[in-house]
Amino acid sequence: MTDKTRINLDRRQLVAGTAAVAATTTLGLPHIAKAADVVKIGLIHPVTGFLQFSGSQCRFGAQLAIEEINKTGGIKSMGGAMLEAVVGDAQSKAEVGAQEVTKMQEAGVAAIVGAYSSGISTATTQEAAKHGIPHVVDVGVSDKIVSRGLANTFRFGPGFGVIAKQGVASLIELNEAAGKPVKTVAIVHENSTPFGTGIAKLMTNGLKNAGFEIIETLGHPSPNRDFSNIVLKLKSANADLVIPSNYYNEYVLLARTMQRQRVEPKAIYSVLGGAASQYKFLKEFPEAAQYIMDCNHWFNPKNPKALEVRQATRDAGKFFNYEVFLAYTAVMFVADAMERAGSAERAKVTEALAGSTWDGHIMPYGPTKIENGQNTGARPLNTQIIGNEIEVIAPAEYATAKAAFPRPT
Amino acid sequence: MKKNSTFWLFFAVLVVAALAAPLAIASTFWIDFLTLTLFLAVLGQGWNILGGYGGQFSFGHAVFFGTGAYLQVILQAKLGFNPWAAIPFAILGGIVIGAFTGFLSFRYGLRGSYFALITLAFAEAFRVLATSADAITDGGQGIYITLNQDPTKALATLQFGAGNGYYYCAVIITVISLLIAFWIENSRFGAQLVAIREDEDAAEAIGVNAFKVKMQAICLSGAITAFGGVFYAQKFLFMDPNIAYGPVKSVEMLVMPIIGGMGTIFGPLVGSFFLHTLGEVSKHAAHELVGDRPGLDLIVYGIALVLILALLPNGLVGLIRRLFRREVSRA
Repeated sequence: MTDKTRINLDRRQLVAGTAAVAATTTLGLPHIAKAADVVKIGLIHPVTGFLQFSGSQCRFGAQLAIEEINKTGGIKSMGGAMLEAVVGDAQSKAEVGAQEVTKMQEAGVAAIVGAYSSGISTATTQEAAKHGIPHVVDVGVSDKIVSRGLANTFRFGPGFGVIAKQGVASLIELNEAAGKPVKTVAIVHENSTPFGTGIAKLMTNGLKNAGFEIIETLGHPSPNRDFSNIVLKLKSANADLVIPSNYYNEYVLLARTMQRQRVEPKAIYSVLGGAASQYKFLKEFPEAAQYIMDCNHWFNPKNPKALEVRQATRDAGKFFNYEVFLAYTAVMFVADAMERAGSAERAKVTEALAGSTWDGHIMPYGPTKIENGQNTGARPLNTQIIGNEIEVIAPAEYATAKAAFPRPT
Repeated sequence: MKKNSTFWLFFAVLVVAALAAPLAIASTFWIDFLTLTLFLAVLGQGWNILGGYGGQFSFGHAVFFGTGAYLQVILQAKLGFNPWAAIPFAILGGIVIGAFTGFLSFRYGLRGSYFALITLAFAEAFRVLATSADAITDGGQGIYITLNQDPTKALATLQFGAGNGYYYCAVIITVISLLIAFWIENSRFGAQLVAIREDEDAAEAIGVNAFKVKMQAICLSGAITAFGGVFYAQKFLFMDPNIAYGPVKSVEMLVMPIIGGMGTIFGPLVGSFFLHTLGEVSKHAAHELVGDRPGLDLIVYGIALVLILALLPNGLVGLIRRLFRREVSRA
């Protein structure tokens, strides 16, 4: 009986068996243990190509949030699970962004945050939907992103419909308070991506309805390295107000060309101006930046936590621009959902995001309510560059300074 | 005859390997990698017919890609076409634009760098047109095809979710493009096209109607490239003027056959496979060696490109042929 049940092992089998056990214990088990401790979050941004600056800023903001969550004990409802960033570079191309999603799928991410531009975000959210990965769009403002019925797609910040509406309303309010100095408007917008064209269209309709006369609408591609002709046209149009809507590099170049050619409208008022509320622009070209107004994503300047995050960003040698705090907030939004779900399972995270009422953020938003993936409480603020600071000028509850409108000569 | 049997052997091996690949590769990333590799090989083949076989270097082939892609999206999104019904119109669009640009260029004898520049200008003109024709293209906002999330309608909507559908579509269009290139190499039309590439005046002197042959080549090239545009539209369900007519696609299209081997059947496929693999390997290597340093992989990729261009004037297929001949002569 004993002989029949005895397992006969020769030397080779013994060695193989030992190796298998060793491999399981040294490689397999820690892997299983690690899987319970670490939750992967995919970060897809255009960190090379023409959107490199903004994409890198987004990546920094998202990583800052992950670092902070891990320092403060990780996802507590999951036994202090740590977050791990899996970074991807969209190379400023939509199809590369989509391909990065498949890489994230392989890496087993619980959620994706990205992808800065509307065009890339459209492709990444769609690809993520195929794999059931929850995807929070950090910056992309096109309203089409959240109107395609994708159950996995969320945006905590406002889309350009809301931003343009507030942009028009604030401008009317400012103009009326100052005795209506602005009657004619020129719009300069980028036309290579959904962002600039969409804003221009919404602003044109809103301002026409409010009685402003749009005397010039000038489109330009992104990237664009020469604004001489556009500024010459602005000069001849001589509009009271210029509304630029473009990405960072083009915005800076436009403002500097206007300064050089002495085009001095009564005000420069941007809606989602690429550089209009950017500390980098203020630091590098303070004269060209003076008195530029913007209706844009902005943090709550009266929230101490927001000021802490701003300081941490500055300590890291970075500019606290909208990309940073929007990506930071997007990651925090995902972390909050995981905390409430008590799980990193994609379906559960998606469900928690859809039902989120998160209020622990640093943004000046109303109560969080997610409708078709969009946070309906999200809204922009009006800022103006005055001296060495970017001040909030509206709405009054967040204002840190009074608007200089029309701009002093 | 021997040359043809070698082709069919390679072709059969490739087709069998391509069809079997999803059985061996479980990774969705690598299947997607192969899908995009084949897609760019098709675009490269479109360029190769005109540039490689015909010697007419186009710097603005995106004009065909963008037209095919835009027609595929617009017909579905604006006019409610079924995606299958939209395909012939999209390909026809590529042919019509080919005939239009070809007529304007070849009729007035534009050759060499002049032809290259005018094709670049056509692509840019179409980009501006797509941006301005807001009512048709939705301008810079881009235009979307409604996403199908019902797997049972995958074939009807030509949207395949996370499965291997797109991969098999890419295999099919690659096979079609390879067969067209094979036909060109073995046809009277192909011989005339190559004669024009070698010396247009001499070709005309022996009775080749250079204008007609170049027109046929640009129409065929436009059709294949527009077919590539159809694939892109169905895979990414979105099109905007920059993706459609921007210089990025034009450059990608000409780099594949230049690296792989211009005027060869497999050149664009070899070039696309090599460049994609190089891109991924350099990305992975850069990440492993120096950590998160965005752009370093692109520098490595760029250096490799320059070295290949400098050292392999006949591309990778030229190198393979040279090595093969050396082995045969040794044997």
